[in-house]
Amino acid sequence: MEQLSWTGALGPWLNPAIGAAVLAFGIAAIAHMFVALLTAGQRLQHAPGTAARHSPLAYRLTRGGLSLALGALVVVALAYLVGGILLPPDQKGIIGYLSTRFLPVWIALGLTFALSFAFRRRLGLYGHLFDNPVGMIGLGLVLFWVFTAVFAEMIVTFDPVRDVLPGMKNRAPGTPLANPAQGQFDHYLLGGDMLARDVFSRMVAGARVVLAIAPAATLFAFMVGIVLGLPAGYLGGRFDSILSFAANLVMAFPVILLFFLLVTPEIVEMGVPAYMAAVLFLFPIIFLVILWNARYRTHPMRRNILVGLTFLIGGWLYLGLAWDADPLGLISIPDGVLIVFVSVVFVNSPTVFRIVRGLTLDIRTRDYVAAAQTRGEGAWYIMLWEILPNARGPLLVDFCLRIGYTTILLGTLGFFGLGLPPDSPDWGSSINAGRGLLQVFPFPPLVPAVAIMSLVLGLNLLADGLREESLKD
Amino acid sequence: MRKTDADGPILEIDSLSISFFTRAREIPAVMDFSLTVQPGEAVGLVGESGCGKSTVALGVMQDLGTNGRIVGGTIRFKGRDLAQLGREELRDLRGCEIAMIYQEPMASLNPAMKIGRQLMEVPMIHGGLSAKQARAMALRMLEDVRLPDPRRILNAYPHQLSGGQQQRIVIAMALMSKPSLLILDEPTTALDVTVEAGIVDLVRDLGRKYGTSMLFISHNLGLVMGVCDRVCVMYSGEAVERGSIKDVFDDMRHPYTQALFRSIPRPGADKIRHPLVAIPGNFPLPHDRPGGCNFGPRCSYFEAGRCDAQNLHMAPVPGKDRHETRCVRFREIDWNQPLQAPDRAARAQVGEVVLEMEGLRKYYEVTPNTLFGSGGKRVVKANETLSFDVREAETLAIVGESGCGKSTFAKVLMGLETATDGKITLDGREIQDKPIHKRGRALVADVQMVFQNPFDTLNPSMSVGTQIMRALEVFGIGRSDAERRARMLEMLDLVKLPRDFANRRPRQLSGGQKQRVGIARAFAGGARIVVADEPVSALDVSVQAAVADLLMDLQRERKTTLLFISHDLSIVRYLSDRVMVMYLGHVVEIGATEQVFAPPYHPYTEALLSAVPIADTHLQKTRIVLEGDIPSAMDPPPGCPFQTRCRWKDRVPGRLCERVLPPDIPLGEGHRIKCHLSADVLAEMEPVIKPAAT
Ligand code: SF4
Ligand code: SF4
Repeated sequence: MEQLSWTGALGPWLNPAIGAAVLAFGIAAIAHMFVALLTAGQRLQHAPGTAARHSPLAYRLTRGGLSLALGALVVVALAYLVGGILLPPDQKGIIGYLSTRFLPVWIALGLTFALSFAFRRRLGLYGHLFDNPVGMIGLGLVLFWVFTAVFAEMIVTFDPVRDVLPGMKNRAPGTPLANPAQGQFDHYLLGGDMLARDVFSRMVAGARVVLAIAPAATLFAFMVGIVLGLPAGYLGGRFDSILSFAANLVMAFPVILLFFLLVTPEIVEMGVPAYMAAVLFLFPIIFLVILWNARYRTHPMRRNILVGLTFLIGGWLYLGLAWDADPLGLISIPDGVLIVFVSVVFVNSPTVFRIVRGLTLDIRTRDYVAAAQTRGEGAWYIMLWEILPNARGPLLVDFCLRIGYTTILLGTLGFFGLGLPPDSPDWGSSINAGRGLLQVFPFPPLVPAVAIMSLVLGLNLLADGLREESLKD
Repeated sequence: MRKTDADGPILEIDSLSISFFTRAREIPAVMDFSLTVQPGEAVGLVGESGCGKSTVALGVMQDLGTNGRIVGGTIRFKGRDLAQLGREELRDLRGCEIAMIYQEPMASLNPAMKIGRQLMEVPMIHGGLSAKQARAMALRMLEDVRLPDPRRILNAYPHQLSGGQQQRIVIAMALMSKPSLLILDEPTTALDVTVEAGIVDLVRDLGRKYGTSMLFISHNLGLVMGVCDRVCVMYSGEAVERGSIKDVFDDMRHPYTQALFRSIPRPGADKIRHPLVAIPGNFPLPHDRPGGCNFGPRCSYFEAGRCDAQNLHMAPVPGKDRHETRCVRFREIDWNQPLQAPDRAARAQVGEVVLEMEGLRKYYEVTPNTLFGSGGKRVVKANETLSFDVREAETLAIVGESGCGKSTFAKVLMGLETATDGKITLDGREIQDKPIHKRGRALVADVQMVFQNPFDTLNPSMSVGTQIMRALEVFGIGRSDAERRARMLEMLDLVKLPRDFANRRPRQLSGGQKQRVGIARAFAGGARIVVADEPVSALDVSVQAAVADLLMDLQRERKTTLLFISHDLSIVRYLSDRVMVMYLGHVVEIGATEQVFAPPYHPYTEALLSAVPIADTHLQKTRIVLEGDIPSAMDPPPGCPFQTRCRWKDRVPGRLCERVLPPDIPLGEGHRIKCHLSADVLAEMEPVIKPAAT
């Protein structure tokens, strides 16, 4: 077996092509910048209102050139991926193999986009995203990682934790196995880490850990923030003052210090994280119960069924998650994960609380809230069914941003070795493990770093797109 | 800064077309629009919201934003084509020759700068004056806009002034550079009527004094009549009629203008003898205007094959000076044909007393800090001893300006607040101490409310049907969802909305349609008392009449008692049986509509009446300008609440008004006023609105 090159048989064709495209793009960008500066006076004179039509010829030329170069760049990049899949195995490079491994993700991504695009007029805000290039790119990045997490088992080439193959320690990307009989795959596509595990498989498996914890933790934080923020904003008074004070207190506390405290063995022994989990995990159940009760107080039957179901399922999950006491023995989370989860929820809730409270203060002055009051609706109905749905735009945007923030937070935690078990494939821990030899063997920490970056970038772009589109309505 | 002097028109707009460009399509906002403003002339631009009148103003200011673009025609200012001017020249022009005043005064004021500095900046930058000269000039200008105590105001920040004062400052600022053209875009819409009247007077007088030409944009025909010499009526992006005030108001030659005048209540019109006629249908959206005449689908003179055949152009009306109209049939229509009044049932028989107030009082305590103890508590006296009763199937109008306590009263009645003192009796039960969650389902359903702002009255994230169904559910009507659904569809029929609106979201509805849904929701539980808080004031004039009529039809059918809160005396006169005038929490006058609208008046009612803009050249009214603003309810003046602004105060001997709260004086037949004036002084009062002497 040979060391793989990055591009394989495509290299001789595409490498010059991409070089040319990059060069063209660079030249076009610089030229456009100059022309834009030189013609600024002319263009602004007609602005506002008349700018588009009367921009000078040179300006339009360079702008066209720029988009052409960008298009070429994208085409060549796509050619690497598609070509990589089509080539026979013995001619593939690293990119080709990677692209082939991600095949399930490509298919799922393509299907989702095609379907969503076809029905985008009927999908509300989500559909509007497809009118917005920034939002679309963001959605693409996020979905890429979501599908990667979903299909992780099909994508990985080795077991991310257990496959420690002799002779593969700190190897460069594309290194063939020392002993091909040892694994189900011939190469370590993105190299091996200091414990001789496959960096690529760890990155893929890491996506699963990150995407399991970050959105769920954010969701819990939102439950807490909403359940407390709505009444604080709506009822105001002393309740509001006390909660706001507490929220400020938590927010003023240095996050990392808080985490160190929470993982200190003495504190864990005292059961502090467990008690916090017991309280924080109660909020989703409270949320749902008041939600049903407020909506269906006029239909006692339906309410009782929904509340009963919530108690049953919620209670079961609650016992399993918070107390590790699931009677069926199906649900439990490892201690380390629980601590991480609780800390992330705890740190995020106050911010969400403040956002919800602010939105509530604004919306509660609307006439439809007054109309609900004069109908004799209860306070919780008004908060949950009149106010909350109309705050969803900004909350959704914040939700996306906050998942990104939580992802980084998880990375930070992993980096400090807090919480998750040391061999966990999550991106933060991997970066931490590889950072010592960063200058000699850059790939083990670099790969998960790029992964975090692209996911957070995607979430931010998605949030931008959502914000823009929700403002248009 | 040099000013170009030119004879000839100040502003000449010739076949102007303006479009806005979205990613999907081009939206034409103004089409083929022409207008001339001569030196010293005030031209009004009237039309409903969305007709493009503000876009014209922005076009003149060359300020259309990134999406807007002039796609045809020219705008000439003193003979110079604005499109040919460079950026610098345009800026100078905007800085000192054309000034614009917007609806929101705070949009033009810098909140972090003292008034004096803001005013002085204009002549210092554009006129090269020294600080001292500029300050003197600012002071003079503040006197010109009739602000009390100008020296104090120079040192104040904008937020320390009331809305009316702020708007006066903006006007002063605009006039500092002695512009040749002043553009006013709905300058008084955010203000109370008496304040509005003051500003309109001011604008007119200053225009005369400085010889400034004006372009006055408004949806209110009465205001335009008060200020302007000529008027241009716009509909759906086009000018449809243009001419002198007299020609357009008395001899209109366009069906839209005629319909507009027929849909607004005028003083003297009441609901039986002069019913309002709403314009049928809705305003066309900019991207699906009909072919040919834009007004075609709503015009009662429409003739297929001619009106929708080709694009229409303005044509001069023979024998008139610069009077033009955009209608192919204007020569054939019989313009003097009297309006055929639609048949309508007579007024409902007024029944027993259902609701009674006795010495109702509502005070609020305002505490500055809630977390740590109590700072100095202050008391807002929102309602002071309200006593009156209302009968079944009666319409009682509650009139007053902002801060008069009418909304607080509504809250107490609805049970959102409890009364501080006094009694509210509904059908013999006392309800003043019952907050809404302690009222039974039936009681809650009995007293319902219609809200002012159509864009706010419906929950944007729930379908129309769901919202009405929810009301039915809460009021316990219908045994099953299916039954309630059927009932909800009936409610939609009742308010004359198509049934498939049930699945629509509020944002797909027009303002008038939303208001209808709000009315359906209020009547869902078979309400017996409906409080309508300015239900039509935020709607376009052409739909106001339709919504008001709907309310009255429902009332007649169901013998509902309507408490109609409003500041618009024209509409109040049109539809109410009795009127109650409030000022600073007091009822200052109450009586049957005819009694309140005829002398003797309470001095405040008199001022209110004189402030109503009237769109009728056959009437004239006495102008009574109220000085100053409404005092704060936190520290009301001693004695009579109105004494700070009353012009009759001197007629009461012994400064009684400043010391003693006047008692209720009965004037017979349930008419009473709260005033110290003696009977013979009251007898001297003359009607505010009289037929014009011709
Ligand atoms: S052209 Fe025809 S439709 Fe248009 S206003 Fe005149 S009569 Fe009416
Ligand atoms: S009591 Fe005096 S101040 Fe009050 S309204 Fe009558 S005359 Fe005017």
